[in-house]
Amino acid sequence: MTAGTGAPAHGLEIVDAGDGRMIISMGPQHPSTHGVLQVITELEGETVLRADPEIGYLHTGIEKSAENLFWTQASTVIERMDYLSPLSNACAFIMGVEQLLGITGDIPVRAQQARVLLCELHRIASHCVWLGTGGIDLGAISGFFYAFDLRERILDLTELSGGARMHPNYLRIGGLRDDLPDGFLRKLDELIAMYYPRMHDLRALLQKNPILQDRMIDVGILGADDAIAWGITGPALRATGVPYDVRRAFPYSGYEQYEFDVVTRTEGDAYARFMVRLDEMDQSMRIIEQVRRKLETPGPVMIADTKFAPPPKETIALSMEALIHHFKIVSESFRVPPGDVYQAIEGPRGELGYYIVSNGDNRPWRVRTRPPSMYNLQVLKKIAVGEYIADMVVMIGSLDPVFGEVDR
Amino acid sequence: MPSSQTPPAGATALDPTAVRPDIDDARIIRVTPAEVRATLERLKSEGFAMLLDIGGADYPGREPRFDVVYHLIVLSGAARTVAAVGRPERVRVLCGVPEADPTVPTMSDLWPAADWAEREVYDLFGLRFSGHPDLRRIQMPVEWEGHPLRKDYPLRGPARERTPRPSFALKSNVAAGTPASGRTAAALQRQIAAARGQTPKDDVK
Repeated sequence: MTAGTGAPAHGLEIVDAGDGRMIISMGPQHPSTHGVLQVITELEGETVLRADPEIGYLHTGIEKSAENLFWTQASTVIERMDYLSPLSNACAFIMGVEQLLGITGDIPVRAQQARVLLCELHRIASHCVWLGTGGIDLGAISGFFYAFDLRERILDLTELSGGARMHPNYLRIGGLRDDLPDGFLRKLDELIAMYYPRMHDLRALLQKNPILQDRMIDVGILGADDAIAWGITGPALRATGVPYDVRRAFPYSGYEQYEFDVVTRTEGDAYARFMVRLDEMDQSMRIIEQVRRKLETPGPVMIADTKFAPPPKETIALSMEALIHHFKIVSESFRVPPGDVYQAIEGPRGELGYYIVSNGDNRPWRVRTRPPSMYNLQVLKKIAVGEYIADMVVMIGSLDPVFGEVDR
Repeated sequence: MPSSQTPPAGATALDPTAVRPDIDDARIIRVTPAEVRATLERLKSEGFAMLLDIGGADYPGREPRFDVVYHLIVLSGAARTVAAVGRPERVRVLCGVPEADPTVPTMSDLWPAADWAEREVYDLFGLRFSGHPDLRRIQMPVEWEGHPLRKDYPLRGPARERTPRPSFALKSNVAAGTPASGRTAAALQRQIAAARGQTPKDDVK
């Protein structure tokens, strides 16, 4: 068995290739592979000569499923790609469909603000998982509980908004399903109040931890030009010094109104990626605080065009027309004019894009995801070479792949 | 659930991508497999340094049947400020690929990012990338047959042999005269009791 020929997955498997080289198959059940990643590595001593990540263990055919669902249903499966920040996926897909429909300009302001709010909350939640599990990879167990507690409070807010912890299908084509419920802003204020002290604790536990610093500094170095050639986006690109952020470069959903900094570092190592993500969480909280103030103003949350907006639930019992209208939207969705569109947002892992083709039917013809973590993970082939095998978990953690999205 | 594997009769166009090409702000270039390499090399030298994505699309009934879609963006490693990045230009290159010869030259030597993306298009659409150093399946298992994202590939996969059922679960083994509904359990109990040589309890009429 040699690396690169699709070696079977049997956990940690060691083959002595002779002449001092050794081939180790790490994963797909290895606890630090964040899901189901297999990395076939060729070693000399402890040094990695070659690393070949094998993906696909979590392939669920979400693109195919989405192409066989109505436009209004497709976002439910698409939310399940990046399961650590589900609303980012839904947001990108739905905005793409809105572009195809030509209604991007008609989305109510309050719906756009709520989308920004939820996307930023989910960015923090996603980074919490990365921070907690990334710490565990390096032996720092306590940070995990602090980070997951923070994430759990964000999931509570998600549950309040849409009824489900992780996949609420709350964002809809044309706006939101409902307005944010009573008490949401109060819970949000509680989150904002506990966020900064919690991040202070987390930074004290992890960022300033000399063991973690030793493990991360100068590990997995990636230069700016290489990052661009490998298609790296998101925090991993900004850790090389290139301040490309879709929220700034192609503002969507009203991001041009909010003040935030595009965090960059220039070292390009695992510690730089760590620091970019940490600082980015604070920037997300800055945006959330600004949106919070705007959300005081009530307003509609669904487009006025009744072709896309189902009637309010309370009218269904009173009006025959509303009932028929609701039935039509639920049972056969609506038709989207033919055409193709590429819509990208800044997901927690980078540029999350959807290339959507409509042929005029009530189902998407083609839904192609541009998965940021697949491209980010691919660069492991480059940055692992010459590093110690023990640092492999550091590098995988610092790229922050989520396999629901890598494999889709 | 019914599946939209073929374009519906009322669909306005066989090639939906040709209808409204100016919907987002990306420039759209259409090429043939013979031209795609030169086009992308030229774009790369013009500053489109990042290959964002390679995707596939299947339009059965159209000639050429497949599209390979390249998304490129202007980005420089020397850009160090948000203003220097600005609003980068995007371009989308659509390469029509005929079903008879589904081969496209690889871009993996120009952009290492193309490696996995091309493997995925090969895996899910069955298009070949000539010159690719390691063209093998990436998402599906190595022994898989067929290419799932093709429109003629069934949504729930090919028909497979089902897990064998125990004999009592087969319709042919249910004794004739079994009541149609609501009494199956009682009928089974009678069968079992009869097989054991016991008198069946007659608690259910």
